[in-house]
Amino acid sequence: MGEVIVVTSGKGGVGKTTTTANLGAGLALMGRRVALVDADIGLRNLDVVLGLENRIVYDITDVTGGHCRLRQALIKDKRFEGLFLLPAAQTKDKTAVSPEQMKALCAELKEEFDFVIIDCPAGIEQGFKNAIAGAEKAIVVTTPEVAAVRDADRVIGLLEAAELRDPKLIINRIRPRMVRAGDMMSIEDIVDILAVDLLGVIPEDEMVVISTNRGEPIVQDEHSRSGQAYRNIARRILGEQVPLMNLDEGGFLARLWRRMIRG
Amino acid sequence: MKRGTPEVEDNTILIRRTLRSGQKVYYDGHVVILGDVNPGAEVVATGNVIVMGTVRGVVHAGAGGNEKAMVLAFRLEPIQLRIANHITRSPDGPLQKPTGPEVARIKNGVVTIEAYSP
Ligand SMILES: Nc1ncnc2c1ncn2[C@@H]1O[C@H](COP(=O)(O)OP(=O)(O)O)[C@@H](O)[C@H]1O
Ligand SMILES: [Mg+2]
Repeated sequence: MGEVIVVTSGKGGVGKTTTTANLGAGLALMGRRVALVDADIGLRNLDVVLGLENRIVYDITDVTGGHCRLRQALIKDKRFEGLFLLPAAQTKDKTAVSPEQMKALCAELKEEFDFVIIDCPAGIEQGFKNAIAGAEKAIVVTTPEVAAVRDADRVIGLLEAAELRDPKLIINRIRPRMVRAGDMMSIEDIVDILAVDLLGVIPEDEMVVISTNRGEPIVQDEHSRSGQAYRNIARRILGEQVPLMNLDEGGFLARLWRRMIRG
Repeated sequence: MKRGTPEVEDNTILIRRTLRSGQKVYYDGHVVILGDVNPGAEVVATGNVIVMGTVRGVVHAGAGGNEKAMVLAFRLEPIQLRIANHITRSPDGPLQKPTGPEVARIKNGVVTIEAYSP
């Protein structure tokens, strides 16, 4: 029986889809069977990030509407053995799927997969409620910006109210040089406010944009730091203790890491 | 410790968690929070507000006009703080972080923040 994880944030454009794609690919690289669910209905793009757009025949609303079976709608990834995608509908709106349908869908998927990862739409409206309905765990993504952290905090409150306790945090697009200059919130500042466990930190990296445009998840790039950061997160999800990467921020990363493994 | 008005003396609610952005507490009495009040969260009480954590959001003590009400916190860095009908807001520039517990109350007609010493 697998686990169902929703990737959410509140604010748009912080890296939910990038994170979903890379964690899915990363876990598949480590031999797990993973289903990715694009719950951003009407703004489909997980398929594009994974380079699978040309294989879509059915989408999530065809499954919930009974037009096809789940197995028919799942697209097998072309590179990663064990990785599958359930695409979002491009043309429907967020009410095309109900929370009950999402729950049933997730229950069916976790029978067959080790991980079911749901890419949540931005916002806290119906699309968000649908995306979290079938989830047992949550990953909250934020960038080191005041507005993004504020929205992450709001979402953590809503997740807690929905009994999704102990969400894990990913901080994306950190720029160590700006943090050092005092021009960007530090990891420590963010964890201090949000008070949840830190799952990982992804540096700002233009290779993410390039790989995304090519439909090739960065996690498979042995030489990139962001790819390494995503591989580290995948290993942590599998229960390994992997220290935070040194992003040239000296002592406090190590301190923070100690706090993480204690807490 | 200075006392609130007698009529709310025994009327205290205990909140055992952090108030996150978008969460609000309104209470006719004193409020004690075992956690933080994050940016975007709001606490309104007719009596005192005591936060065993950091206040970064909005806190209103003495709502309804009690000028003797106070706000006490381990770290007081509010976006806005109100006592009775008085309002103060954080300075627009970078603020000096407090290093210990502080108490805010009305002194000579203005909201005054001082280090708290029992
Ligand atoms: N670590 C990063 N460094 C640089 N660009 C990034 C990083 N993470 C995400 N991006 C870019 O930011 C944009 C938004 O990311 P996306 O995953 O689509 O966000 P969301 O799904 O939260 O709206 C994309 O163009 C993506 O390539
Ligand atoms: Mg997205």
